[in-house]
Amino acid sequence: MCETCGCGESGEFRIHDLHHDHLPEHEHHHDHEHHGDHNHHHDHHHEHDYEHSYTHEHDGVTHTHDHPDQKVINLNMDILSENNKLARLNRRFFEGRKVLCLNLVSSPGSGKTTILEKTIKALIPSRKIAVIEGDQQTLLDAERIEKSGAPAIQINTGSGCHLDARMVELAVQKLEIEYGSVLFIENVGNLVCPAMFDLGEFKRVVVISVTEGEDKPLKYPYMFQSSHLCLINKSDLLPYVDFDTEKTISYARSLNPKLEFILVSARTGEGMEQWYEWLEKQK
Amino acid sequence: MHEFSMAIEVINLAQREAVKNKANSIQKITIEVGDLSGVDADAFESALGLLVKDSILDQALVTLIRTPGLGRCNSCNDEFEMNHRMATCPKCQCFPSEINGGEEFRVVSLVVE
Repeated sequence: MCETCGCGESGEFRIHDLHHDHLPEHEHHHDHEHHGDHNHHHDHHHEHDYEHSYTHEHDGVTHTHDHPDQKVINLNMDILSENNKLARLNRRFFEGRKVLCLNLVSSPGSGKTTILEKTIKALIPSRKIAVIEGDQQTLLDAERIEKSGAPAIQINTGSGCHLDARMVELAVQKLEIEYGSVLFIENVGNLVCPAMFDLGEFKRVVVISVTEGEDKPLKYPYMFQSSHLCLINKSDLLPYVDFDTEKTISYARSLNPKLEFILVSARTGEGMEQWYEWLEKQK
Repeated sequence: MHEFSMAIEVINLAQREAVKNKANSIQKITIEVGDLSGVDADAFESALGLLVKDSILDQALVTLIRTPGLGRCNSCNDEFEMNHRMATCPKCQCFPSEINGGEEFRVVSLVVE
């Protein structure tokens, strides 16, 4: 399973339970060579062939060899199948323990951690909450969450730009999640790559803030198409910015007609009651 | 940026299949990349080209098949080709109500020896 992006080596991510404060150190060396030899075919499909040092004659389309030892394996296997398999196992684990697992995604600085801090303070002790924090570096967010009163575990992805199902599986083994908890997974701040990786969550929550452009849904359609709820945060700043809430909602709904919206301000508490009610309804 | 992860995933998948089939080498791999899969085919191809060295795919001919997206118009219900996520129906300029193709990202076949 892939653990990092932009890196061909495995094992780079670290999971911190706040009792070990070593920081990851890691170096990479890539000195690969690549010789491209491209053929282009444009007849509905586009095919790109590139050869390395293989010297057979090929016609670039599906063909069979007459070598007696060769065997064609028709796989039709999803490349993310390994991640999806682990995500299914995670989901089954959560369902078995009546854990409501939510994957929080956004660009950096939208206020995910502040929303979680306020949610934890408002709902504990009536609701059990645990948090998995994903960031490239530092334990800062997990420390903030623990100060709010919920157990947290930090995944540092190193150079990676998203969490994947295996990281969550390993984090869950270290984090004691009580029966019936809400488990928030705060993904790495990035509206691109996390959209591709199912972590085993029950629902995906995308957070945007009014200081971002209202065209965010159009610029990052995958994320808005794959989410169930959109929290529009920092509503207290609406009088000072040119953010058009209705336009954002209509852009996002054009991509995903089922997407729900709640306008909140984690700072002033506006709209947060609606968010808590939404959480209650997910049981 | 996740194309690197995907390339690693393909090499791992090919390695597993080679072991399972008791193959010594892989001569050819065919990969389908849909236009709506979220994978940039060119970036993926570059990443794979860099990463195959010394892997089971080092000697393999790599064929990428790119499949166009297909959406069903929310208004006229016609199917139309989508080469990106924001493509709209050419007749009604509406977004699709459903996507019926182009989200594939899979290994179609391997030729092993």
